[in-house]
Amino acid sequence: MEPSLKTFTIPDELCRRAGIAATWLPINELGVFAYQHVKAHSPDQPSAYGPADASVFKVRQQVILFEPILRKLVNEANGTFLSVQELMSTNSPEFKTELLKLSRQYRSIIRACLENLQDEVMRERGERKEELQNYITIFYSVECVWHLCEILFVDNIPGNVVLPHLLEWVRFHFPKYERKAAKLLAGDLVGLESQPDYWETVIGLLMQGRIEVVRALLRLHSAADSKPFKLVDQTLKAMPIYSIYSGISATEFNLKWKHWLVDTQSKIDAKLFISERHLHLMMRLSVGEETAWNEVQNHCEAWYELLAAWLFYTEPTIKSFELGQYARRCISRMGIALHMRHLDQVLLAAMESDIIQVIKEIQHMSENGWFASHLTDLLYHSGRLDFLDTSEADDLVASRLRECFLLDYGTLLMGHNSLWQVGLSYLDHCPTDGINTIELLITRLPLGSEARAQKIIREAQKRDLPHIVQSICKILGMNSLKRGRIGNALTWALKSRDSGFASVLADKFLREYSTNGKLQCTDLLDNLGSSMLVSDRLVFLGKYFELHKVYQGKNYKEAANLIVSLLASKLTPKYFWSTLLSDALPLLECNELVMSSNDTFTLLHCLEEKCNLPEIQDKIELIRLAAARNLARALTHEAQLN
Amino acid sequence: MFEAQEINAEHKDLIHDVAYDYYGERMATCSSDQYVKVWDQNSEGKWILTSSWKAHSGSVWKVTWAHPEFGQVLATCSFDRTAAVWEELVGETPCPAERGNRHWVRRTNLVDSRTSVTDVKFGPKTQGLQLATCSADGVIRIYEAPDVMNLSQWTLQHEVQCKLSCSCLSWNPSLSKNHPLMLAVGSDDTNPANGGKVFIYEYSDNIRRWMKTETINSITDPVHDISFSPNLGRSFHLLAVATKDVRIISLTPIPDNASLQSGLSKLEIQTSAQFDDHGCTVWRVCWNITGTILASSGDDGCVRMFKMNYINSWKPVAVLKGDGSHISSETQRSSISSAAGLPTPPVSQTARYIKLGTIAQSREVPWH
Repeated sequence: MEPSLKTFTIPDELCRRAGIAATWLPINELGVFAYQHVKAHSPDQPSAYGPADASVFKVRQQVILFEPILRKLVNEANGTFLSVQELMSTNSPEFKTELLKLSRQYRSIIRACLENLQDEVMRERGERKEELQNYITIFYSVECVWHLCEILFVDNIPGNVVLPHLLEWVRFHFPKYERKAAKLLAGDLVGLESQPDYWETVIGLLMQGRIEVVRALLRLHSAADSKPFKLVDQTLKAMPIYSIYSGISATEFNLKWKHWLVDTQSKIDAKLFISERHLHLMMRLSVGEETAWNEVQNHCEAWYELLAAWLFYTEPTIKSFELGQYARRCISRMGIALHMRHLDQVLLAAMESDIIQVIKEIQHMSENGWFASHLTDLLYHSGRLDFLDTSEADDLVASRLRECFLLDYGTLLMGHNSLWQVGLSYLDHCPTDGINTIELLITRLPLGSEARAQKIIREAQKRDLPHIVQSICKILGMNSLKRGRIGNALTWALKSRDSGFASVLADKFLREYSTNGKLQCTDLLDNLGSSMLVSDRLVFLGKYFELHKVYQGKNYKEAANLIVSLLASKLTPKYFWSTLLSDALPLLECNELVMSSNDTFTLLHCLEEKCNLPEIQDKIELIRLAAARNLARALTHEAQLN
Repeated sequence: MFEAQEINAEHKDLIHDVAYDYYGERMATCSSDQYVKVWDQNSEGKWILTSSWKAHSGSVWKVTWAHPEFGQVLATCSFDRTAAVWEELVGETPCPAERGNRHWVRRTNLVDSRTSVTDVKFGPKTQGLQLATCSADGVIRIYEAPDVMNLSQWTLQHEVQCKLSCSCLSWNPSLSKNHPLMLAVGSDDTNPANGGKVFIYEYSDNIRRWMKTETINSITDPVHDISFSPNLGRSFHLLAVATKDVRIISLTPIPDNASLQSGLSKLEIQTSAQFDDHGCTVWRVCWNITGTILASSGDDGCVRMFKMNYINSWKPVAVLKGDGSHISSETQRSSISSAAGLPTPPVSQTARYIKLGTIAQSREVPWH
């Protein structure tokens, strides 16, 4: 069945007249604008629509999961999801029992969420209230389907005795009778039957298989000591209830149950209850009399409510694989086959054990894939999707199916400002495309504050994506540079190990110094260490800074050594020769002899090589003179030593 | 279900192109009014116009962002036969969030074309700053900024003649180092007798030239837009083509000795999907970030989305269509309130989203 497509309207007249085009923006939003194609060869003239109020519409999917009230659901489910993955990685032999526990954990998260919503809905009014009520409907259905799937596909029910679980499921979703019973029992016990909903409650409870409560309520009837009441009490007490733990086999049970049926039927036939209309109906129901069931079925809100009740009295030993046919019978019995709600269809598919149909249908539940991804993952790990891999019918593979949902769900969360890390954890568990998707998405996360950028970098590092880390650092460096914060930029350049970029920044430092004589960010330069090796220019900057330091520390000998090694290094940028050679002057003129004859020759050699640079013209004579004087001193000194 | 935020683009004529920056936080628009505008999203999600300038002396066809590693850089192309590169300068403001002190400067004007420049795209960032343009007279040009820190110097590296009028181009964004640089170019030449309208070019490192390696002969109708899909580590490339219908073409490299020698790959070309949902000419195609959803725009006035499902086949998932009939109630309401003399609320800085109405009340299709 191919569902027909939904067409969404962009509320704009120009868009209607001209047509529209769209551009994606990260992550999965669209920019839509009025568009008319113009061919390159047509003349360039104003369009027929101008002058026009052209708008761009930023279109995004409505994501209810991003509602603050549902945040807890997203985060807590993530915890359970991760527990599931961890459990499966430990190869525990007990994993089936554990999975069942985790399935229940998921459900209790949904229930907690529903409670929250219910509290909130009381406080709100108007449109918001409607919205919240809509969420309640959605998550109520989710819980309902999940619970049934848990019974049918996750729980390993001994002997496949599914009925007690079904009854429990129905009781949970139609709790009104139990609530009423509790209210009745807590109130004035005299003449309980005078309460308007007494009989409705009793019969409702009977249909939910709550025999003990039914008996308790009947005993409080003012005619409880009359003969029909006593007889009903006895009959109900004697009714055999099938349980795997009762120690009797299905055949034995059936024998006992048939016997009880015949016995009860004979009592009905003897008109022992006829004096009490309600008791008579109850007894007819308990033996599965069609006409009696016809009378009550209209009180059932849903077909599955009727189904559980009906099975309890007619097919108590039913196995889960037989459910489908009875479900269909129930549906036709209630005459609702043509107006099945979406929830009805999902539940029917589940009862027919059509897992793929269930998964297909639950994608329509408007909770943005939360349900489909978590349930599919759970079913996959429970081995319930294995059949896909062996069937040759189509290309559907269990692991691929699971991964598709996780990819979509993870990507969705990646689009949220504060849920992106949760999103990553889902993508991490997609063995095929997970890491590639992370690579594409993580770089698109807006970097925002420094702290956020660091967080993103850490996540990339955790996943061993060095090129992503480098790219992010480079971008941050570039941003800092454009804002004139070159120290910051250099820090990022070093992290990104981008030698070209580091060189450009080192140049900026050096040029700045050669024009105004100030070195910025001394702390950073002081701590460069081996990271300076990323670029020659940076090495030069680092060494030059060291020169400054030792000179300021009045360690002239060391300063002389440094300057000579810088001069000889061939790392000096052209624009910096003037500064460097000038820096040599005080060392040449130093009281104490700090530059040897060899050092001075090196300096003079550089000077001769660079004497054509215009910016040293005014200094050249001065330096030559100082060098000559130092050379004289040095040669004399060295001669004395020898 | 979708919701939308309207941004009045303040152009004086139809918008030809909208481009979002790498993060989707900035938007550039260009129009027949010869202007380019840049919009920034504030912290409340509202889009604010931060720059607007007359960029060309003809319609501006396309606008595109460079990778943020190169700074804030845009390229545009126009009917005026030029393409231009723009860089944003940020003034020395103490607070980085302040937008006032920014402006865009033209770093270069590429004037080599003798006809309208129909498309412009930056190359993959691993190649440094490369820019490809194509023009109506069928010439593809590859420019390069040898020093990425100095965007005023661009050199024309390659000029490739493509016989037919070019309408669009796309770089292969694939991250793999195992295959050469790849470009796809589409032609809107209307004569089917001229053969295939999509050409694949690859750069051979050995001879340092761009070579045409394939022509997609299955497409002989005019091509209006073309786009390589982001690669999720696949062994093949996917190319979306807007022609008389939507096509998704797969290009699978076939390893052989000849390709090892030439440094060019031989490709096996197949049509992965073909949709005539528009029922008429398709003008634009665009991939989402992960390459899982394709959006196409057609002459039927619709944007259609196609998504890959779990059995790796493409399915239409949603349609968008312009419809002005619903806005009347909104304007009516505001006119009533002003007539009643109620004070109009101050213009909010926060983004306002409206829920999009639907036309077909049929079943919802999962978006994800």
